[in-house]
Amino acid sequence: MKQYFHIINDPRFRLVYNEHRHFGMGPAPRKIRLNREGFTIVPGVKKKTMVYPGMLLAEHPSLDKGDLHAPIYGTITEINARSIFVEAVDPEKVEPGTFPAPLEPVDLIREGKEGEDLVLAVKKMGVNTRSLGRRVKTLIVNGLNPEPGVRWAEPMLAEHAAEIRAGLELQRRFRRAEEIMLAVPAGCDVRLAGIRTVQVDPMYPNSVNELMIREVTGEENPPDVAAVGLHNVWSLGRVALTGLPLMETVITIGTARDWANYIVKNGSIVGELLEFAEISLKSGDTILRGGPLRGESLDRLDRSITKGAYGFFVVNAGEVPPIEGDSPCINCGACIQICPTRIDPRMLSRYAEFGRYDMSRKENFRLCVDCGLCGYVCIARRPVLQYIRLAVKKLDEEERLSRLTPIEPVARA
Amino acid sequence: MSTSSNNDILLAISTPPFWHCGRTIRKNSLHTLIALTPAVIMSLLQWGMPAARVMALAVLAAMATEAVCQTLMKQKLSQDNGTAAITGLLLAFLLPASAPWWLVVIGAACAMGIGRMAFGGYGANQVNATLVGWAMIFVSFPFLMDPTASQLQTTLADPLLKLKYFGAEAVADISVIDLLLGNQLGGLGSSQVGALLLGGIYLVLRGVVRWEIALSFLGGTFLAATCLHFVDGSLYAGPFFHMGTGSTVLAAFFLATEDSCSPHRRLPMLLYGLTGGILVVLIRAFGSYTDGAPFAVMLINLLAPMFALIRSHPFGTGPRKAGSADWRTRA
Repeated sequence: MKQYFHIINDPRFRLVYNEHRHFGMGPAPRKIRLNREGFTIVPGVKKKTMVYPGMLLAEHPSLDKGDLHAPIYGTITEINARSIFVEAVDPEKVEPGTFPAPLEPVDLIREGKEGEDLVLAVKKMGVNTRSLGRRVKTLIVNGLNPEPGVRWAEPMLAEHAAEIRAGLELQRRFRRAEEIMLAVPAGCDVRLAGIRTVQVDPMYPNSVNELMIREVTGEENPPDVAAVGLHNVWSLGRVALTGLPLMETVITIGTARDWANYIVKNGSIVGELLEFAEISLKSGDTILRGGPLRGESLDRLDRSITKGAYGFFVVNAGEVPPIEGDSPCINCGACIQICPTRIDPRMLSRYAEFGRYDMSRKENFRLCVDCGLCGYVCIARRPVLQYIRLAVKKLDEEERLSRLTPIEPVARA
Repeated sequence: MSTSSNNDILLAISTPPFWHCGRTIRKNSLHTLIALTPAVIMSLLQWGMPAARVMALAVLAAMATEAVCQTLMKQKLSQDNGTAAITGLLLAFLLPASAPWWLVVIGAACAMGIGRMAFGGYGANQVNATLVGWAMIFVSFPFLMDPTASQLQTTLADPLLKLKYFGAEAVADISVIDLLLGNQLGGLGSSQVGALLLGGIYLVLRGVVRWEIALSFLGGTFLAATCLHFVDGSLYAGPFFHMGTGSTVLAAFFLATEDSCSPHRRLPMLLYGLTGGILVVLIRAFGSYTDGAPFAVMLINLLAPMFALIRSHPFGTGPRKAGSADWRTRA
């Protein structure tokens, strides 16, 4: 009966899909496009450099972000301000000696590094360590599918648990939390040695970290509790088990009718993935990287799967009502009713629409957890989430500028 | 097939979320029109062609007024989303079937022009547009708006008029079934109580209108009528009489629930509906008008921003005193 009165009556929002197929291996890439924004290219890496799997291409100055490694054998065809392009080469068809012997695996678990040393070692293996948690009392591993339509969480917890176990072992050695817990969807019977599992009602948006923490602890934004995604733990475990730098990511490739989970190389071109998954597109379709509620749409088929991306979806033309130009807010209040943080997306979207970002402050825009439900229920088809993100970005910029001290003009002698 | 090399596909770029619940203004309007259909049929059976004339005229006049205003305001024409048609139809429901054509046109033009477009368009008005139009012609031409005075070729009586001038005992023998079947004199659609109830429940189950408002509006009417009935049963009629007469049901499901004029959170919605329901009975019992429902809805529309101030503290912030320095508690 509750469903009748509920705005969301979409079975896909129940994040348990009874998906238990093993992850498939993605296609062998013909081309790779790696995002290098913020990275410093290591000396010697330039156009026409021959690269091999695991070869260090670029380092990130921040300790939080993993370094960039080549995922395949190939030649660098171009390096520009945003990307590194690699074209695949068959290692058996080139002169012997072009590529060095395969990398020696590093056994992080056996090595026994702990604390900050381990964090640095993991960063050098290409894992983003920021996503693996701040220094807190309790760290909760979010074992739910992050968004509706993304379906790798269950097989990751059951069929691919070796990586999770290894990842959690390293996570423990980071010593960033006194206690680590695992939140799993209710009804999912997962037991991992030495870790407490908590069952969570698997209805989206409960998989959003802030809301998952509330489900587990019963408190909203409690201090000393942080969350890390299962996807990140899996990547960490993958590095621990293979001993090689992180070169792949798990994604769900989905359309309205079909879906499957794949392990794909970082930087895989989406056009190749579509071809591999035998999905044909028509004009007017939308392809998106990330999840269907929070992801980003891509404009061209030669865009790539970035490191840490967890999904790739196709939304066919006509599947959702089209957005028709600037549609004014009609005050229907659906976003207010659905918002899990009890803020007012209606007013926030209007403030951003008319450039009054400062007004967003009194509507608690920083509490937005980015779940996307406001746009999902908007009957006027307004880009509500995008407006809120715009306000957050503008105000962040403003606050950053206000912290700078103005430069005094140098007095002429 | 090679999609990666095929560059003549033009992909659509959009913003998240990429999935959508599928509801649009047009679909909601369609559901509302479906919900109003039983009442339309019942009123046609009751009043015949004159009712059809008033309804068609009101719908057309409302849509034409909206089109003219939108042209003058250089907005995109939006008659296809059906909201103007609903406003016109609801206005017709409040009129007697005998209303002259110019009255209907003036009412519909005022509803759309002053009630809605003057505020900027659909969803921007603070008071229900239908009721603005209705109030203007009701106050200006009370004789023509009164079905008892203008609807001469009928044997039906207005139960609210009976109640006002002959007391509760005169209406004690009116059965609820008769009221539900529309055997009463009133607005051509608003008196089809049973049909409207059916349509209203359909809308609630569809999630187009919020059950909190409809339920608490009827609950408020019930509560206030019961209290007064207990105080003096010979002066004040019982709760089911008040819920079944006039335009209480039309107001509860179709007028008070207009999204832009009502609060959006649960507790404010319940209080809003409850206040409306109580006002209906108070206006009928102590006011000079026989039917209090339209005025009650207009009053609570104006109170809606006040009710909307009641809101729970935002996520992760504790309840704190109003006016404290912390920016997170400012409503």
